[in-house]
Amino acid sequence: MSKQINIALIGNPNTGKTSVFNALTGLNQKVGNYPGITVEKKEGICKLPRGVKAHIIDLPGTYSLNASSLDENVVIELLLNKNDKDFPDVAVVVSDVENLKRNLLLFTQIKDLEIPAILVINMADRMKYKGISLDIDFLEQELKTKIAVVSTRKKEGIDNLKHLISNYKDISTAPCLNASEIDKDYFDKLRKAFPNQLLYKLWLVITQDVNFGKTDRNEIEAIASFKTKSKSDLKRLQQKETIKRYQFINNTLKKGQTIDVSQAKDLRTKFDRILTHKVWGYLIFFLILLTIFQAIYDWSTVPMDFIDGVFANLSDWVKNTLPAGAFTNLLAEGIISGLGGIVIFIPQIAFLFLFIAILEESGYMSRVVFLMDRIMRRFGLSGKSIVPLISGTACAIPAIMATRNIESWKERLITILVTPFTTCSARLPVYLIIIALVIPEGRFLGLSYQALTLMLLYLLGFGTAVVSAYILNKILKIKSKTFFVVEMPNYKLPLFKNVALTVLEKTKSFVFGAGKIILAISIILWFLASYGPGEQFNNAENIVKTEFASQNLDQEELNQKIASHKLEHSFIGIAGHAIEPVIRPLGYDWKIGIAIVSSFAAREVFVGTLATIYSVGNDDEDTIKNRMAGEVNPILGGPLFNFASGISLLLFYAFAMQCMSTLAIVKKETNSWKWPILQLVIMTAIAYITALIAFQFLK
Amino acid sequence: MNTVIQNILVFITLGFALWFLWKKYFFKKKTKKACGTDDCGCH
Repeated sequence: MSKQINIALIGNPNTGKTSVFNALTGLNQKVGNYPGITVEKKEGICKLPRGVKAHIIDLPGTYSLNASSLDENVVIELLLNKNDKDFPDVAVVVSDVENLKRNLLLFTQIKDLEIPAILVINMADRMKYKGISLDIDFLEQELKTKIAVVSTRKKEGIDNLKHLISNYKDISTAPCLNASEIDKDYFDKLRKAFPNQLLYKLWLVITQDVNFGKTDRNEIEAIASFKTKSKSDLKRLQQKETIKRYQFINNTLKKGQTIDVSQAKDLRTKFDRILTHKVWGYLIFFLILLTIFQAIYDWSTVPMDFIDGVFANLSDWVKNTLPAGAFTNLLAEGIISGLGGIVIFIPQIAFLFLFIAILEESGYMSRVVFLMDRIMRRFGLSGKSIVPLISGTACAIPAIMATRNIESWKERLITILVTPFTTCSARLPVYLIIIALVIPEGRFLGLSYQALTLMLLYLLGFGTAVVSAYILNKILKIKSKTFFVVEMPNYKLPLFKNVALTVLEKTKSFVFGAGKIILAISIILWFLASYGPGEQFNNAENIVKTEFASQNLDQEELNQKIASHKLEHSFIGIAGHAIEPVIRPLGYDWKIGIAIVSSFAAREVFVGTLATIYSVGNDDEDTIKNRMAGEVNPILGGPLFNFASGISLLLFYAFAMQCMSTLAIVKKETNSWKWPILQLVIMTAIAYITALIAFQFLK
Repeated sequence: MNTVIQNILVFITLGFALWFLWKKYFFKKKTKKACGTDDCGCH
């Protein structure tokens, strides 16, 4: 059996590295984390000619081997550690045909590590639009490598790349240039002190905060025969090295690349002028958001109604088919109802991620980052804060991790603290069900009130985050400086495969990640709602029969009364009544209180919890929405979910820190319990007060 | 008999649910430290 080849896919951000990864691996890929840290690790398997298999790691995008963030550390540490099980047999360095000069810096550094490296020149389909032509033979000779010219969009060049990978042993490992010339004496001493080590590795160890094998910086410094330079001298040498590399790249590209501007048919500048315009830019962004939210509602109705109906029928079928008893009830009322509460939101979540993926793939999202930086600055946030704030619409956890590339601690801390205000996908099920219950179905200028409400909630979350940042910027007395650099990729038509994989991956992680928690909580809630202590629960039937003996109720009414009495005296009923005085001023009953408490594990549990509580003892085959719509307010009368309580709930969820995992990640990122606790207390207080004011005014 | 079996199944399912949540939120998995964090021991 042939050996499996290890491949590291490396490249600058926005070079289409992930498209190459997708083209090579297809669906044979998995996403995880690097051990001990939270940088995403994408791996996949690729079948090569002659039955050879390749294990591919899609490494985080990096501009050079001079690390400045955790993501970049991961790349360097893998390339320096030959003992790592993922150490590459061959590095595939992906570059973008329009940014070859900048991309080749990283390539020449990797070559210096004497790892066989293949250069992929991606986005070849754009060459004719930009008037670019390449002398591949010359480039291969100068760069001492093999080049694959690839267009993932047109699916061209992938077979050639696979062929080059399978023949990687033929690729020269000689460096492109001699970096030691920047200071011959210093490098000679280094070579003499460590004769068995690769010189460029030693140089990276001296200049970076990384290690490899058994050699670390302290050890190098401890060797008497070698004295390293001061930090400022090392920085100067690093700059010299970079200049030398660019001189080499310039000379190579002067002969190997021709750009005929007269042949270019460039629309980018024209688009940029409009999309980043200080008036039109914001207006277009606003209109795009409006379209997205409208589409989420209009397109999801049919599949959502279908899923809701299927779960209602399934629950009914289980109850009628399986032998009557506690476990059958658990299946029908706990597990199926709880699962229904999450599966129903798949269409809307898939549509949301579909639009986000299209915006990212097309290159528009980078324009939004640039556009919003103008606003962010005024509120004491970095332009880079926009990335966590936008990613926060998916989930606050990766968004908070994404703050690691913000250099200023103050800006990073503020971004961490305000990101949970942005509307994450876990809030979406709560918003959708409440909006469907309390906002009328009419339309304004062709836009449904429900879609407009949803958009307002997203804007409210974003607005609160920005205003909170402004306040925190004034309160927190931490001094720091920062700068903002954003890469503007070219506009391109989104690749269907990339968009589909993103939607699939995000929806899958939402359903399976949250689904398992919801299922477990649904089971526990059903148990707590179906069992209880004391006479009131165990003798519910006799107590109710005695109480209503004079009213001549029919069997169905009597069963309803018994179920209601049991629920009220069950474990969950007792707990719910205990917290009711606190939540009653907000317009909620004890059942909503339980849903709020249980949704502290994850916000989306709210709907599943209500679906479970309302199902217990309820023999009607009905949908979640109808069951919630039928609930009566025990104190005020009328529907429990009316406009006042609905708005109150929406506001509560817009502001409350209802997520255990987010608190855990904030603790991890700030290395202190002070910030997550402060965040929890302040966000809950804002949520409670706004929900209280809303209900008291609207009731 | 049927009632007893059904109740046993309920308690087993409940046990699994509790175990899952305990594992998810309170049981910290030991991970091999890698470079990248201040406390990884590499620097």
